[in-house]
Amino acid sequence: MSITRRLFVSGLAITAVLPTVRAAQAQGKGLIAIITPSHDNPFFKAEAVGAEARALELGYETLVLVHDDDPNKQSEMFDTAIARGAVAIICDNAGADASVAPVQRAKDAGIPSFLIDREIKTSGIAISQIVSNNYQGAQLGAEEFVALMGEKGPYVELLGREADTNAGIRSAGYHDIIDQYPDLQMVAQQSANWSQTEGYEKMETILQANPGIKGVICGNDTMAMGAWAALEAAGRTDVIVVGFDGSNDVRDSILAGGIKATVLQPAYRQAQLAVEQADEYLRTGSTGQPEKQLMDCVLITPDNAGRLETFALADAS
Amino acid sequence: MRQAILSGALVCLLLPAAACKIVPNPDPNDQSEALASRTDEARMAAYVDANWESQVLPVIAEHEVAYDTWRQALAQGLDAAGEAHGLRPDGEANPWNFVVSGTGTVTEAKLDSRAAKMQVDMDSDGAADVVLQLGPIIRGTAMRDAMPFVVFTDFRDQIEFAKLARAMNERASAGLTRPEGDVIGQTVSFTGVFTLRAAGDTPEIVPVEIEMGATP
Repeated sequence: MSITRRLFVSGLAITAVLPTVRAAQAQGKGLIAIITPSHDNPFFKAEAVGAEARALELGYETLVLVHDDDPNKQSEMFDTAIARGAVAIICDNAGADASVAPVQRAKDAGIPSFLIDREIKTSGIAISQIVSNNYQGAQLGAEEFVALMGEKGPYVELLGREADTNAGIRSAGYHDIIDQYPDLQMVAQQSANWSQTEGYEKMETILQANPGIKGVICGNDTMAMGAWAALEAAGRTDVIVVGFDGSNDVRDSILAGGIKATVLQPAYRQAQLAVEQADEYLRTGSTGQPEKQLMDCVLITPDNAGRLETFALADAS
Repeated sequence: MRQAILSGALVCLLLPAAACKIVPNPDPNDQSEALASRTDEARMAAYVDANWESQVLPVIAEHEVAYDTWRQALAQGLDAAGEAHGLRPDGEANPWNFVVSGTGTVTEAKLDSRAAKMQVDMDSDGAADVVLQLGPIIRGTAMRDAMPFVVFTDFRDQIEFAKLARAMNERASAGLTRPEGDVIGQTVSFTGVFTLRAAGDTPEIVPVEIEMGATP
């Protein structure tokens, strides 16, 4: 059923946009499709904005789409990109397994994909997969968390969405550090699916069952914001919260003495780099880089939070 | 006529069934995180075992540089030292890794920890210049990232790649003769690998070889 709908939709898309594409190709270097999760999370918005800005600078047209972490929607968007004759696809994907097929379809249609933030389970079908060094970043966050906790006390971990490799890798990085300290006890570990609302709700419930908690380590910043709001509402601003992403929201909370630390993923630069590699690939047939690339993360504390803006850290002056 | 209608209806009934394949959702309990990671760990440990003598040790032997030589190179800047002696994966903003050997004096030690460490003074000024990470829990991914034959693309995902780093750290730690007792003031000779992100950082070396000497 969904196949029929997809075909129908792409059929519509072809009919609707063919004239536009022809016009675009006549003037520019072609169309780059930029597909990310919902812009409600500023992290994904920064990716889309960063990629689009760089693509326009390099002389491309852009098509910005949002898959809302729905693999079916993502699949339709890849078909739209194919139908519109995109020259490249920049994508923060909707699932390590589910994204293999659409990336392959784009490849079969002669369109190279450049993935950011999240990996897919298969190599050899995307041209680039540029991801944050989540393991390194999580270890940085965990070391800071351990220090803030004074190496002891009960704590909670809020995990990201299970289908996302980044949820697992961050948790692994956290525990490789935290589990060395026997006086740190994890009293609850739950997924809040990267969501601020769920972070709030889960934190509220966990807090009722475990009023003695001293810290919360979160797989991303939106969950940290949700958890912090719940703690504030319960009058528990003594609880240490650490996030991951480096969003402006968490930066502001850190500077106001709320959340204690986060880990910056260079999301803006990462998206720009993907576009640069797409451009290089389209011009020369090679990016000059291995397919899978890691980018280091940076610990954000009150010391450097003031230099953080839209997922990029300005140099210390 | 009736037959035609009937078979038509039959076709209509059957069509959706033929066009859709019902794929059951995988039972999440079948692939619990613990099971998956155990498998990764075992596989990565085997990978390290298979490559340790044949690939890892030769890379270390080839790129090993005396600590003093490395310090002098570092005085010209981290990138200069990196170009001269360093190893790093391709890609933007990957930090340099180095292989150094040297002898120094232990100034501080924490040997009863799962993350055992010794601080070592390398220039006889009484202050520690490097840290030797004795493990078994070792911080960082220097061992993995210094190996030119290890390419991230060849691994399934970051989780497997992280397990590889840990397996290499554990293998390095397991190969050491762990010092015991009061080591402060003793000399130690070592060969090890570390990542350096900024020239002013203290090298946190993952040794593949240490030898304790007599108190001078």
